[in-house]
Amino acid sequence: MPTIEVSYHDLCRLIGKNIPFKELSEKAILYAKGEIDEVDGDSLKIDIKDTNRPDLWSAEGIAREIKGRYGYPGLPEYPTQPSGLKVIVDRKMKSIRPYTVCAVVKDLDIDEHVLSQMIQLQEKVSITFGRNRKEVAIGVYDFNKITPPIKFTAFKPKELRFVPLEFKKEMTLDEILKEHPKGKEYGHLLQDLPEYPIFIDANQEVLSMPPIINSDYTGKVTQETRDLFIECSGFNLKFLMPALNVIVTALAERGGKIETVEVVYPDRKLITPDLSPKRFSLNPDYVRKISGLNLSTKDMCMLLEQARYKTSIKKEKIELLCPAYRQDIMHERDVVEDIIISYGYNKVEPIFPKLFTIGSQEKIEEFGYIASEIMIGMGFQEIMSYTLTNKNNLFGRMLLKESQVAEIENPVSSNWCVFRNWLLPSLMEFLSKNKHREYPQKIFEIGDVVIIDHTQETKTRNPRKLACAITDTKIGYEDVTSVLDAFFRNLNLRYTMKKIKHSSFISGRVASIFVEGNEVGFIGEVHPQVLNNWELEKPVAAFEIDLSKILDVLD
Amino acid sequence: MYNLTEEGKKYLKEGLPEINLVQILDKPLSLEEARKRVNNFGIALQWAKKNGWVKIEDGKLVRVKIPKSYKIWDILKAFSEGKGLDEDSLRILLQRKLIRKESVLVKKAEKYVGKEVTNLTPELIKTGLWRKVRFRPYNIDAKGKTIYPGKRHPYNHFLWLVRRKLVELGFKEMTGPLIEMEFWNFDALYQPQNHPSRDWTQTYSLKNPKTGRLPERELVQRVKASHENGWKTGSTGWGYSWDPEKAKKLMPRAHTTACSARRLASGIEIPGKYFSISRCYRPDVIDATHGVEFNQMEGIVIDESLTFKEMLGLLKMFAIEIAGAEKVRFYPDYYPFTEPSVQLSARHPEMGWVEFAGAGIFRPELTEPLGVDQPVIAWGFGIDRLAMYKLGIKDIRYLFSQDIQWLREQKVLRW
Repeated sequence: MPTIEVSYHDLCRLIGKNIPFKELSEKAILYAKGEIDEVDGDSLKIDIKDTNRPDLWSAEGIAREIKGRYGYPGLPEYPTQPSGLKVIVDRKMKSIRPYTVCAVVKDLDIDEHVLSQMIQLQEKVSITFGRNRKEVAIGVYDFNKITPPIKFTAFKPKELRFVPLEFKKEMTLDEILKEHPKGKEYGHLLQDLPEYPIFIDANQEVLSMPPIINSDYTGKVTQETRDLFIECSGFNLKFLMPALNVIVTALAERGGKIETVEVVYPDRKLITPDLSPKRFSLNPDYVRKISGLNLSTKDMCMLLEQARYKTSIKKEKIELLCPAYRQDIMHERDVVEDIIISYGYNKVEPIFPKLFTIGSQEKIEEFGYIASEIMIGMGFQEIMSYTLTNKNNLFGRMLLKESQVAEIENPVSSNWCVFRNWLLPSLMEFLSKNKHREYPQKIFEIGDVVIIDHTQETKTRNPRKLACAITDTKIGYEDVTSVLDAFFRNLNLRYTMKKIKHSSFISGRVASIFVEGNEVGFIGEVHPQVLNNWELEKPVAAFEIDLSKILDVLD
Repeated sequence: MYNLTEEGKKYLKEGLPEINLVQILDKPLSLEEARKRVNNFGIALQWAKKNGWVKIEDGKLVRVKIPKSYKIWDILKAFSEGKGLDEDSLRILLQRKLIRKESVLVKKAEKYVGKEVTNLTPELIKTGLWRKVRFRPYNIDAKGKTIYPGKRHPYNHFLWLVRRKLVELGFKEMTGPLIEMEFWNFDALYQPQNHPSRDWTQTYSLKNPKTGRLPERELVQRVKASHENGWKTGSTGWGYSWDPEKAKKLMPRAHTTACSARRLASGIEIPGKYFSISRCYRPDVIDATHGVEFNQMEGIVIDESLTFKEMLGLLKMFAIEIAGAEKVRFYPDYYPFTEPSVQLSARHPEMGWVEFAGAGIFRPELTEPLGVDQPVIAWGFGIDRLAMYKLGIKDIRYLFSQDIQWLREQKVLRW
């Protein structure tokens, strides 16, 4: 969730009212789906919970939302007029970065708050909403340094040079990608492109190379700047239009005047931004059904006006105009939430659902519990390990030939990159970390393993297994067979054993275990080479059985 | 070596019961009368009859003959006087349990008589010689050897307590596969395919195996339509082209909500209350608050009657019943798959205000394609956070501690 830094006083100034801090943190900020996370003097860090409401990610947006509940309800008006500016989109952009939408905002009085909020909003929108600049990159420029018309086109990596923001020297496009911090950070977005996107004006002055960096000349906005040119570029107008609306309406809250730009594509023209409110209709019964609140249609209208909608009642239904910065509304349900937020979450009476239902655990959980009771009764300590491990633990150290295991593509660590397909290595690892602890050590684990199985829809299944291990100076095969025998006797299960070969165990001291004709596991004395591999110095005897299979047999 | 038994000593003093019986039968006696006059009457009658000394006639006991000598008495007497006996005689006494073989250990016990002993031995107890020894007093403050009983893993034990609590509250457990298709982890939950949480930095993907098999075509088509244009739900949808190839991709499940989606699609009891406590996986950098794996507790509640009010009530109940909180506050929240959504902060007597739980009503774009028309409250509870508090640990990695000593010394948790 985005964390927004704002000035408390600037926020109150925007709201038009001094809200005491306690009231802001306990009530008002909730209207903007926020929670104050940190306070440092006048500076507040606010977590905005909604990752789909970019309009709330600035002081202007937060204030606009709160204002509705503090005496300024209703739809915010954003009048526009044409700027006369044209942006011409080159045909070749179709395969490079196909879309841009633009606006001009004039007569701004930019102070430090306006500037910092604008930069912060631009950042948050392009990162969180714009998927790290992939979907939306935003550029803001000093309008008065630009000679119209602007061209959105592309250049080869070495064909063009300009001075990137905060740099002193002219650089080629690929130098910028290699040397500028933003080039290093976002350069991968232009990977494999033959030409890089460029905004350039009639004087051949470069505005920017989206989604990387602005030029230092036109792309630098300071407290002296009064008029701004703003563009958003990307791949999908569904992302770009709302992003632009969020930016320009925030600036309009600061007194800026919004002007439209004509974006000329080879096949069509767009006049942007489009700030006309969206129409929506709402059934009051639906609101009552979801919220459980006994609200009259009129009450709902009032609460919606506080959430900055314009409402009218038509044939039992509420007709809504919703502000142009709201791109999140897909369904009546979204509007219901706005009503409850206006009403106040903490004013709603919580009711415990009176539903008679019969509780139960999964069978395998219950069976696992019983199995653990028997093991604990025999003095075993339960352990719990990660299901993720590595191939060396599963195969190499256990003297097994590598076999297919579920493997992660993007592991955070090579220690945890595959799913275990058996439990014993987890127990061996555990024992290897406790060599300095008192012996004997008797441990067991009940846990899931992942087996590749192409008959399953997920190509895997995860049986629940039980493994136990005993280690001490004098421990052998017979010490663990008596545990196994006691285990099965107490479950009233008959079992048989069959001699097998298993390279993790000493030859002639390992067997597989059968219950009613089903092979359910194995038992043995761990091979000394395996002990060496784990740097263990005392013998280990162990067994591992499949509880899921045994449960099937029992049922 | 042989010793007289208690019985042997008694008969030596009182005479053998069968002899006593035959001697009083100068005239026939009723059984009751005879029983009054002879000790151990049962034994007396048994042996006297066996020896052919007495018989029963018309309900009365009649003497048949007085033998010339009483062999058993003579042997017993001779034994008590220390005279050597032959094998046969000894066998007779042994069979009547009038003497027993003296064990070596009893002899051993005798050497402690009158002394101070450390251990109370079985011989001392059996022979009664414990009466004749003194027990060395111990330092009663001394602790015995430290022992470590077999125990449940404290974290697992905690999870079990929570599981039991939920079952008490009428919740049914549900599970799902550890390796899940993106379809169930995201798409069926109405999470758009370009959502940041589906980015490789936020979720794991699988290298092998790579893809699974999507469920039945109709279901997939409904989910696709829901993403693209809202299907029949009255929603606009996310408005992008949904790709079944992405939905097929396999991943270690990132949240247990995947289990809820499967449950909804596979038929659900209404009213229904469900929970899941399961292992989940995200590629977080591992530190004191992020483990390699973590457990999530989530669930759903479904019924036609449910509203936002019940959703708050449910969370409040969890905060009180499971977290032991005193007071709760609700915050508007956001999940891509619920609307409205809420976060609960609760004041715990020791932990202070903690964000314990979140919930929301599943969006119609999620439930309707899965064949569910009723409101479904989806809830989640920060179980690991509570576990850390209950176990008194500050570093989440300790939940999976590999230190046997730590496990041995952990106190057993009560609810």
